[in-house]
Amino acid sequence: MERVIVSMQDPDMGMKMRNQRLLITVIPHAMTGRDIVDWLIQKYTITEEEALHIGNFLVKYGYIYPLKEPRNLCLKQDETPYRFQTPYYWTSTRWPASELDYAIYLAKKNIRKQGELIEYEKECYNALHKRINHTWDFVVMQAREQLRASKQRRKADRIVLECQEQAYWLINRPPVSRYSDVMLYMWCLPLKNKLCMFVWVCSFVKYCEQYQDHDPIMQGCLPSNPWITDDIMYWNMNSETVTMPTKLRVERWSFSFMELLNDPLGRKELLTYLEKEFSAENLCFWQACEEVRHGEASKIAAKVDEVYKQFLAPGASRWVNIDSKTMEKTLEGIKHPHRFVLDDAQMHIYFLMKKDSYPRYLKSELYKNLLAKAIVPQETKKSVFPFMRRQRHSSPSPALVTQTAEDNGKAKPSAAKANAGTASQI
Amino acid sequence: MPVDWGADMGKDECKTMLDALNKVTACYRHLVSALGSTSDSQNLREELKKTRKKAQELAVANRTKLTALLKDKSISNDDRAEYERLWVLFTSSMEILEVDMKRSLEIGQSFPLKVPTRHFIQTGMTGSTTTVAARAMSVQNMKYEADASIDTADLKDLETEIAQVDQMMEEMEMKVQVAPWAVEAKQEAGAELKSTVSVGNSSVGVISVCEEEPKEGGEGEAGLMKVFAGIIFTAVLLIAGILGYLVINL
Repeated sequence: MERVIVSMQDPDMGMKMRNQRLLITVIPHAMTGRDIVDWLIQKYTITEEEALHIGNFLVKYGYIYPLKEPRNLCLKQDETPYRFQTPYYWTSTRWPASELDYAIYLAKKNIRKQGELIEYEKECYNALHKRINHTWDFVVMQAREQLRASKQRRKADRIVLECQEQAYWLINRPPVSRYSDVMLYMWCLPLKNKLCMFVWVCSFVKYCEQYQDHDPIMQGCLPSNPWITDDIMYWNMNSETVTMPTKLRVERWSFSFMELLNDPLGRKELLTYLEKEFSAENLCFWQACEEVRHGEASKIAAKVDEVYKQFLAPGASRWVNIDSKTMEKTLEGIKHPHRFVLDDAQMHIYFLMKKDSYPRYLKSELYKNLLAKAIVPQETKKSVFPFMRRQRHSSPSPALVTQTAEDNGKAKPSAAKANAGTASQI
Repeated sequence: MPVDWGADMGKDECKTMLDALNKVTACYRHLVSALGSTSDSQNLREELKKTRKKAQELAVANRTKLTALLKDKSISNDDRAEYERLWVLFTSSMEILEVDMKRSLEIGQSFPLKVPTRHFIQTGMTGSTTTVAARAMSVQNMKYEADASIDTADLKDLETEIAQVDQMMEEMEMKVQVAPWAVEAKQEAGAELKSTVSVGNSSVGVISVCEEEPKEGGEGEAGLMKVFAGIIFTAVLLIAGILGYLVINL
């Protein structure tokens, strides 16, 4: 991309430059989006779509920045003005944007705007203040000095400098996208991509928001992360057979039906609930199907037979309610049983439970009581004195354990021999 | 007591030197960001070279002073905390300087001056950087005495200087045992809005709201112009009013 930019600078064959007029000041070296696309088409003999695509890359990677709407990082094929970015601010993996630099930029902006920063910039500022607090004096000093240095330039150059820096940071520290901002960025995509993107992005954002509190890395682990403090209470509290589950675990069951089914404790609770509703055979059937799917190949035929006798045969003790078409298909398939013969029926029952029993379970007294009684573990206090913390011992290697056992075994007969030897000598 | 007075002198000297280093670092960064653009020129390369040399002199002086102060075991805990804070300021300055030096080498190599087929990026900056360099060197006007081959010759010097700086920073880390994360900054968030007195003069007590400096100088100029225009406009209106009144009455 850098070669493209450099070849654009050619005075004869390069881009046609215009002047940008701002009230009184005139700043040279501006170009319109249409000019860029036309030049790319002409220089590289490519189609308009390809030229637009390349142009978009140039903007997204920060080699060109828009002058009118700086946050809208896409190339528009009309009279919108753009300008080249100085090589110092070109995106490069060798020189990633550092937190210190961003802090200095925000401090400068704070001074210029007299404290009127945008919301997300304020958040970043506060977060940085906490994170790199030890160099904050330096940040303030450097911000002031950089502003004083730039005051030495004339006004037009100062405006360009500000625009350049702003463009650089908009690319390297983009604002957190909410739905509206996502719409803005997607404006440049063709229609069918837009729709898919939109749906995917919405569901992803929802997923992230939902699971954020449950992520041990984002929110921390209560009581404490076993990998850090060597305290396995977290695993004990979340094991399968615990009597009282943690609150986070119970909350997770309400996210999706799959979460509830994947947790053995959740499954047990659901079974209890369904027994009250006299529809427990659904869950048992589902579980039996899972066993067929994931079990040993040699036992499949026997298992399928059992499932048929228990759940599917007319007049069976725990007959499940499947529609006639699926029942016919399944009964046909049972004649030649294989791992996935019960899939259709299982799917039917799964959706039945999901649509019907699952929402009712979440609203039931049983679930609500459990949620109220669920424990929220206390975070273990980190002791202040380092020497009071438990020392981490690596567990002895199994090789060593067997070695010592062997040695013990060998030592005894040799000791006996030695004793015998000494005894005989005496 | 003579000992304390000597320590205070040492601290003030350190702070002044750090302020100077900070100023030169900021100016150097400003100059490096102009490399490769239309403000680039032979003069800029010379300015970069001179600013760099000055920065290095200051760096060495700061380092010697600070290491001497930190090695002294007889200082009080408060003093020690203060010196550690100054040390963190110094290392942060050096970090930025080192990165800028390496970047100026890279960009300088990609944009040599005398090659006819290479063109500078038209970034919209057309003014010169003389005043910035003059600020860095603390002189009134810059004198340019270099010859045409400064860009290539200087790059070799730059490489050796980068190596020297790397080595110096390694030595610093080995000799001085300061944990940077343990240092507490004196400034709180938003401190840059309050006083424009440099940190070196213990700005914790000084909170003077300076109206002019934080605003952009350009805005100040435009403001003045607006005021003049307003005055002239009202004067014209008054004169027109008076004339009209006279015409009607006479």
